Amino acid sequence: MRRKLLILMVSCTMVLALAAPLFAAGCDEAEPEKEVIVFGAARPLTGPFAVYEEMAFGPIYKMWVDEVNARGGLYIEEYGKRLPIELKIYDDGSDMGTMTSMLERLILEDEVDFILPPASTAFLFAAAPIANKHGYILMGAEGGGTTLTPLLPSLPYYFGVLNYSDHYQMPVLADILSDAGIETAAIMYLEDLHGVEYSGVAGIELTNAGIDIVMTKSVPLGVMDVSSIINQAKTLGAEAFLSFCYPDENFLAIGTAIALDYNPDVFLTGPGANFAFFAGVFGPAAEGIMGYGAWNTKSSAASEDFYEKFIALYDPGLLDWWGHNLYYAGLQFFEQAIEEAGTLDQAVIREVMATSTFDTILGPTWFDMTADGEGGGLLAEECYTGQVGQWQNGVFEVVDPGANRTAPPVIPKPAWPAEE
Amino acid sequence: MVEFLNIFIGGLILGGIYALIAVGLSLQYGVARVLNISHGEFIMVGAFLTWAMYTFWGLNPLASLAIVGPAIFVVGFVLHRTLFTRLRTSSASPAAYEGGSLIATFGLMFIIQNLAIITWGTDIEAYSFLNTGVSIFGARFAANRLTMLLFAAGICVVFYLFLARTRLGKAIRAAAQDPETAGMMGVNIKRVLALCFGLGALMAGLAGSLLSMCYPIRTTMGLEYTIIAIIVVVLGGMGSIVGSFIGGLILGMVGSIVLYIDPSLSLVAYYFIFILLLLVRPTGILGK
Repeated sequence: MRRKLLILMVSCTMVLALAAPLFAAGCDEAEPEKEVIVFGAARPLTGPFAVYEEMAFGPIYKMWVDEVNARGGLYIEEYGKRLPIELKIYDDGSDMGTMTSMLERLILEDEVDFILPPASTAFLFAAAPIANKHGYILMGAEGGGTTLTPLLPSLPYYFGVLNYSDHYQMPVLADILSDAGIETAAIMYLEDLHGVEYSGVAGIELTNAGIDIVMTKSVPLGVMDVSSIINQAKTLGAEAFLSFCYPDENFLAIGTAIALDYNPDVFLTGPGANFAFFAGVFGPAAEGIMGYGAWNTKSSAASEDFYEKFIALYDPGLLDWWGHNLYYAGLQFFEQAIEEAGTLDQAVIREVMATSTFDTILGPTWFDMTADGEGGGLLAEECYTGQVGQWQNGVFEVVDPGANRTAPPVIPKPAWPAEE
Repeated sequence: MVEFLNIFIGGLILGGIYALIAVGLSLQYGVARVLNISHGEFIMVGAFLTWAMYTFWGLNPLASLAIVGPAIFVVGFVLHRTLFTRLRTSSASPAAYEGGSLIATFGLMFIIQNLAIITWGTDIEAYSFLNTGVSIFGARFAANRLTMLLFAAGICVVFYLFLARTRLGKAIRAAAQDPETAGMMGVNIKRVLALCFGLGALMAGLAGSLLSMCYPIRTTMGLEYTIIAIIVVVLGGMGSIVGSFIGGLILGMVGSIVLYIDPSLSLVAYYFIFILLLLVRPTGILGK
């Protein structure tokens, strides 16, 4: 018995003696070398917001990742080499609760290196505090809002790129209308944050420009008849009709205005008019309609290059003449900031982003930071290629006063075409 | 007078399309006992088929009704003969079948919607058809909306006559009252129930075709119309086809009046009427 015990003890000791160096080597081993940089995002691959993934930021981030990887990836000095980007995209099903839990999963469980933004203003601002809490940079895409601007000082990791009502679309619109001698305007707006903000800011800006707002009517999401609103605007003789709704309601407003023969001098709808497919849907009736934006191939040589790259990859009907160049420029800026920082440390990169100017397709690009540089930032006014666009001969022209203008506004707009 | 006509005819237009959407669902629930959550998806498919035929082949949307209706009917009929008949025969009780079929239609909703997204994408589509003004005693309406009203009303009347005057209609009504007894009286229950589901899908498809003439369409639009249909069906009385028709007209008329007074209150008004009716008459207008 004692002999057996002795043999067992000796055997165990030998096994331990042999295994110990292996175990120690395992402990001493450095972390596996980094081979890829993972960008994660919760995006609406299905559900009512799937259109954002198909037409808004979706094609842009995929295009950017492919381009970066074609160059070998992002050069990170800390690792002394280029690291390709790998995407980890979850479907949020267009549900905000799902999006927030997916985002936390990406950060906490998947431990992705960077995140890309979710779709739409509300989702973006639900994601911003989560990104901020975990110290992840959130370069925005499809979204932004006046009401949410005061939150920026508490969101130092947020960088917004898309322009919106008082940033700086409505002030520019007021200038355009005022220059054209427009004296009266009618407003139809959607009963949500988007519509309320735009109608509120437009009310102030237009009134300050001496334009009389003769009608302001709100409509619920999915309204099925806007005849009474169009009839009222027509009766009041409003020279400008401004529809601050989403594409469904905006398209209905245009169709109803055509049928009821209300052809004001200015007809602005947004969002909707900024998409390339808008001209395809409305054909000649799109002529003269204004929308948010804006950029086109005449904005700069870089814009034209970007356009060519886009249509080489995607259907031109997917182009967005409001946001696409901004989303792409945001990613170009992000990319350069990461390489400049030479590390994947988000705090270091954030400081580079908050204090640097990089060249993008917008030209020199920088962010105006809030809270003396300690808060979140918005793309600087000087970087935008345009705030208001108008369809002229099939091109979404930038009609802002000043250097961004690619064509003067056509006011009054042409008459609606006769039904064939 | 002009304002009255604006409100009245506007109400008929809205009501007509609400009725058409709801009658189909009512038939599927009232007789086939399937509360079809994917009803709106059949509307969406009808709308996209019409849009595609108009855009790519130049086919008149009204002519496309003759293709869209039968095509969607066949899909609905086959779905019932396979999926729902299997569910019905394997369910322990009618209540279990209703629960099971409800879940199945949820699944169907996702499948149809995602197939549509793969086929047609997610962006908005629209086309211009009869988008000119028509004056009726000084009140102007879009010709396509008036056409939609005429066809919706016509389809509902034809369908009512089919139910009231034909032998097959009588079989459907008998199956609605008591499927067991109707079966014993020689009614081929499996076929009648599948026919009802198919007809419900057909009406949804036709509604979609008509809607596409007046409204922009999206592959994700289905659920909005399912919700409207459910509200109208509950308003009219669960399972009552005539009740759904009346419910649709009432909702349309109220919607038109409220749209005239204050468009922002239209949804509030719908839900106010809905709650009021549930309080006063929980079984709906013609419910038993």
